[in-house]
Amino acid sequence: MRGLLLGLYPARWRARYADEFALVLAERPLGPFDVADVLLGALDAHLHLRGLGAASAHGKGFAMTLRIGGYAAIVCGLLWFIVLAGNAINNGGNAGAWLGWSLLGAVVTTLVALIGLSAFQARRYPVLIWTSFAVPAVSAVIALAGGVATAASGDSDREIVAGLSGWAIGTIGMLGLLIGSGLFAIGTWRARSLSRSAASLLGVGAVFVVLGLTGVAGGFLPRELALIAVLLSVLAFPAGWAALGVSALRVDGAGAAPLEGAGA
Amino acid sequence: MTTNEMPELGRFAEPSLYILVSLSDGPKHGYAIMTDVEAGTGRPMGPGTLYAALARLEERGLIEALAPVDRRRPYRLSALGATVLSEQLNGLVEFAQLGLRRLGQAPR
Repeated sequence: MRGLLLGLYPARWRARYADEFALVLAERPLGPFDVADVLLGALDAHLHLRGLGAASAHGKGFAMTLRIGGYAAIVCGLLWFIVLAGNAINNGGNAGAWLGWSLLGAVVTTLVALIGLSAFQARRYPVLIWTSFAVPAVSAVIALAGGVATAASGDSDREIVAGLSGWAIGTIGMLGLLIGSGLFAIGTWRARSLSRSAASLLGVGAVFVVLGLTGVAGGFLPRELALIAVLLSVLAFPAGWAALGVSALRVDGAGAAPLEGAGA
Repeated sequence: MTTNEMPELGRFAEPSLYILVSLSDGPKHGYAIMTDVEAGTGRPMGPGTLYAALARLEERGLIEALAPVDRRRPYRLSALGATVLSEQLNGLVEFAQLGLRRLGQAPR
C-alpha cells in the first residue's frame, strides 16, 4: 500500500523525498484521512513541482549574501572608526598613507556591506531597499573614482571632469556615501528584517558625521557644537555599521541551530 | 493567514506557518514536525500536506534540508524563514488584538 502511494508521486519528487517520505508513512498506521491526503499530495506534486533544486540553491545564495554583508559591515565599522578618529585627532590635516588606505578600505567594505545587506532585505522589500541602496552605492563608486583619478594624476587639484578635480569628485562621493548611509539606515529600519536599533544607531551616526564634517569645514556650526558632533560621529557611525553587521550574522545564525530535533 | 506575507503558498500557507513554528526551536525531521504540529494545534497534519508544504518552503528558501540522520532528513529554519515567521506571528498578534478590541475584550 505504502509503495503504491509513493509510486503515485512524480519521479523527480521521489528522487528527492522518497526515502524520508517512506519513513514517515511507516511511522504509524495509515487511516483513510492519511491515504486521501497522500493522494492529494501526489496530485499536487505532479501539478506544482518544478525547479525545486534551483530554488533551494537560490535560498542558500541569499543566506550567503547576508553573511558576506554582515562581515563586511563589521569590518567597515572598524575602518570608519579608524578614519573618523584619525581625521579628528589629526584635525583634518594630512595624516599619511595609512589614513588614505583605511578610507579606501572603508568605502570598499561599505559598498560590499550595502550590496550584501540590500540583496537579503530586497527579497521582501525590493522597492524600499533598492531605493535606499542607490544613493550610498552610487556615491561610493563616485568616491572611489575620485580617489583613483587623484592617484592616477598625482595632483589632487587637477581638473578631471566638468571643472571638478579628483579630490572634489572624491569628496562629493564621500559626502553622498555618508548621507546615503543614513538613507540606507532608514530603509533598513522600515524593512524590519535586521535590527532596528542598529539601523537607528547608523542613521543617527550618519547625521552626526555629516554635521560634524560640514560644521567644522564649513564653519556654520559653533565650534563647540561641531566638535561634539564630530565626537558623536566617531562613536555612532562606525558602531551603527558594526551593529548592523552583527545583527545580520545573528539573523543568519538563527538558521544554524544545533540538531535538537533530529533524532526525535 | 491574516497578512499577505506568504500569498504564493496558497492552501499550504497555514500548514507552512505551523511547520515554521515547529522548526523555530531547532531542526526536526518530517515525522517529528508532523507530531509536533499535531500536538501544538490539536489537528492532524497528513503526510501529503506535510511534504507539499515542506517542498514549497524549501523552494522559497524559508527552510533548509540538512544531511540525513539514519535516513531521516532534518529541516531547519533559514535566516529568511526566521524573519518571515517573526513577521507572520507579529501580524497575527496585531490581528488578534484588533478582533479582541472589537469584541470589547481588550483595552483600546
